[in-house]
Amino acid sequence: MWQQFQADFYLNFVKDARWQYLTNGLKTTLIVTLFSALMGVLLGFLVAVVRSTYDNTGRLKVLNTICNLYLTVIRGTPVVVQLMIIYFVIFASLRIDKTLTAIIAFGINSGAYQAEIFRAGIQSVPRGQFEAGRSLGFTYGQTMFHIIMPQAFRVCVPTLCNEYITLLKETSVAGYIALEDLTKGGDIIRSRTYSAFMPLIAVALIYLILVLILTKLVSILERRLSRGVR
Amino acid sequence: MASDNALIRIEHLEKSFDGHVVLRDISTTIHTGDVVCVIGPSGSGKSTFLRCLNRLEKPTGGHIYMDGIDICDAKTDIDRHRQKMGMVFQQFNLFPQMTIMRNLTLAPMKLKKIAQAEAEAYADELLKRVGLSDRRDAYPGELSGGQQQRIAIVRALCMKPEVMLFDEPTSALDPEMVGEVLNVMKDLAAEKMTMVVVTHEMGFAREVASRVMFLDGGDFVEENAPEEFFSHPESDRLKSFLGKVL
Repeated sequence: MWQQFQADFYLNFVKDARWQYLTNGLKTTLIVTLFSALMGVLLGFLVAVVRSTYDNTGRLKVLNTICNLYLTVIRGTPVVVQLMIIYFVIFASLRIDKTLTAIIAFGINSGAYQAEIFRAGIQSVPRGQFEAGRSLGFTYGQTMFHIIMPQAFRVCVPTLCNEYITLLKETSVAGYIALEDLTKGGDIIRSRTYSAFMPLIAVALIYLILVLILTKLVSILERRLSRGVR
Repeated sequence: MASDNALIRIEHLEKSFDGHVVLRDISTTIHTGDVVCVIGPSGSGKSTFLRCLNRLEKPTGGHIYMDGIDICDAKTDIDRHRQKMGMVFQQFNLFPQMTIMRNLTLAPMKLKKIAQAEAEAYADELLKRVGLSDRRDAYPGELSGGQQQRIAIVRALCMKPEVMLFDEPTSALDPEMVGEVLNVMKDLAAEKMTMVVVTHEMGFAREVASRVMFLDGGDFVEENAPEEFFSHPESDRLKSFLGKVL
């Protein structure tokens, strides 16, 4: 039994330096997750500001309609389908790097979810805070920036971090456009060795460890943020 | 009263929400140094009246002139105007993520471009007067309601306003904390600060007000000097209201 395990391990990870499929894949997964999360933050933040401004003041009507359309379409369709449409349809004639394509697809997708998280954060700040800012003479924008956003951010952080954990796992469908991420790396090993157990369990373990680390970081951050307030 | 020291002139002010009339044809003048207490049953529109003065509620009719400028005009730079009108809310509305000192200096520093040292020196001076110097580095959540409301008054004062608007400043407080806030307001009145106070504190109105206004069902029913107002009410509506609260 032990010898069988050793042989399997050797075949799947050591022979022909197959472990590199996992490490290179992990690198790609982390790059895609990091940059699509960043892109999603920017996109989500802008959309949330537009939507909240419309809700509070009735301004930015056209932009708000565009944002609503974006949210409806992105949240109403599966991310794999969006990824494939962007790669095979929109970028079909352009020779754009697969990693970049994945970053754009997951960034646009994550932006829609992060927008709603930001917006919920902004809405969670009591109306009196807004009125206090305005009554002192701050403009709408200044009130948002100095008073509302810092409070909204505190509320958002834990939920946002959970969104990043979800995003990390969701990037595992990047193999659909033949991007060699962590999942695809494990799958390549499986197709070479005809042994499914070891590579797939290894992939699962790596995701699990990453998620556990991130979860731990979130809870530390959450404790930090709740200090001193109320 | 001389008309040349008129600070806020309110002409035919009206406010309705979706066809429901909250304020009907209100006209009055607030002079520099006045302490105007606005009383009336709940739902009478007195808070809405106060919030119209700095356009937290947008009036649907009439005009409010301050220093000769119509606040109701959409072209008026309302933000600039609000810097001259301090407001104190029922729920204090201090900024919870900032220290007391930061609460007090944020607006003077960002809006009036006052240097930090100067803004803090002035804030310290005011903190001392309300007896809260030792709480300057605390967060609002660490203070009692009465303390928070005194800080909220100081926050408004830090902008050196021409008039202070109070929206039921003691209604959210435990009874034993009402006095400390009213005392700060009495001191302000004694210093000739112009104040408009929506309140249920009849004792305060009687003692401190230069004039008491009575609103009922959106109508400005009557106003008078406090002595006359409380001892010789003219209208039946005020008589019946005073009969219930006194």
